Amino acid sequence: MLFGIILYATAQEGLQINEAFEGKVIDKQCMQESLVKGENLKPYKLEMLHTIKFAAGSKDRAKLNALFTKDMEERISDDDSNMEYESRDGYIYYAIVQLTDNKKGRHRYICYQCKENSSHYDITLVYMEGTASLADLRKTFKKK
Amino acid sequence: MNMVTQEYLRELLRRYMEGEGTQEELKLLKGYFNSASDLPVDLVPYAQMFAIIDEETTVPSVEALNRFSEKQAPAPRRHIPLWPLLAAACIAAFAFIILTPPKQKDDMAIAYVDGKMLNDKALAMQMGQEALQEIFSNGNEEQQLTDLFNAK
Repeated sequence: MLFGIILYATAQEGLQINEAFEGKVIDKQCMQESLVKGENLKPYKLEMLHTIKFAAGSKDRAKLNALFTKDMEERISDDDSNMEYESRDGYIYYAIVQLTDNKKGRHRYICYQCKENSSHYDITLVYMEGTASLADLRKTFKKK
Repeated sequence: MNMVTQEYLRELLRRYMEGEGTQEELKLLKGYFNSASDLPVDLVPYAQMFAIIDEETTVPSVEALNRFSEKQAPAPRRHIPLWPLLAAACIAAFAFIILTPPKQKDDMAIAYVDGKMLNDKALAMQMGQEALQEIFSNGNEEQQLTDLFNAK
C-alpha cells in the first residue's frame, strides 16, 4: 500500500505544486487529502484524482500562489476551452488549467482555489488526469 | 621353415593347444603347416586343423581385441556439480522478483484526514468530488458574490 501511495503521489511529479502535495508547504497532518484512481473515476472520464485541502497563512498562501503560477506556464493555451482563471490583487482566487499532455490522449489538469477567511485562507489544490476535456469536467462538476 | 625343429614345433603346438601360444607362434605354426610336405603322421591332423583355421576369418590380434574392449568399456562418468546450476537458477529467480516492477493497482481510493489514512473509498470519492465541485462552481457569479461578501 505504501508503495502504491508513493507511486501515485509522484503522478504530478515535475510540477511545482508537487511540493504542496508532498506536504512540504503545509504539514500533511494539517490537511485533508484524497487519492482516487481507476474504475471509480471512469464515469468522469478520469484516471486519477488527487486533492488536498488545508488552511494556510499569508506566507504559505503566497508560496502556493507562486508555485501554481509557475506551473501555469505549462498550460496548453489561455483559451477558455483550456483554462479558467481569476485573480485579485495579484493572488489567484481560483484557477483550472489544462497542462500539456505527457501521454497522448491523457489530459492533465491542475486546479487551485483560495478562499479568504477571517484568520486564514482555505486552499484547495487538485491534480487530475484522464481523457475528459475541460468541457466534460465543467458539465460534470459545475453546480447549476 | 626348415629352421623349425620337430622338437620346437611340438613345443609350439603344446603351447597353442594349452592356450599359451602367442600370435607370432600361431603365425609360425600356420606357415609351417601350410608349406610342409612330409609331415610325420601324428602331425597331419594339425596340418588339417591349421588349414581350416586359415580359411576362417582372421582371428583379431590381442591389440585389436584390447582396443575393442577399451571402446566397449563405459566412458568414465563426468561428474557435473549441480550447485552452480541451482545457484544460477536462484539468482535468476531473485533478479526476476526484484527487477519486475510491481503491478500498479488499477483501483485505489484513499482518504487522509488529519494525517490518518482511511481506506474508505466512499469518503475518498466524496472528498474528491466536493473539491472539484467547489472549484468548478467558482465561475458561478452568485457564488463569487457570496464568497466576496463573506470575506473580511
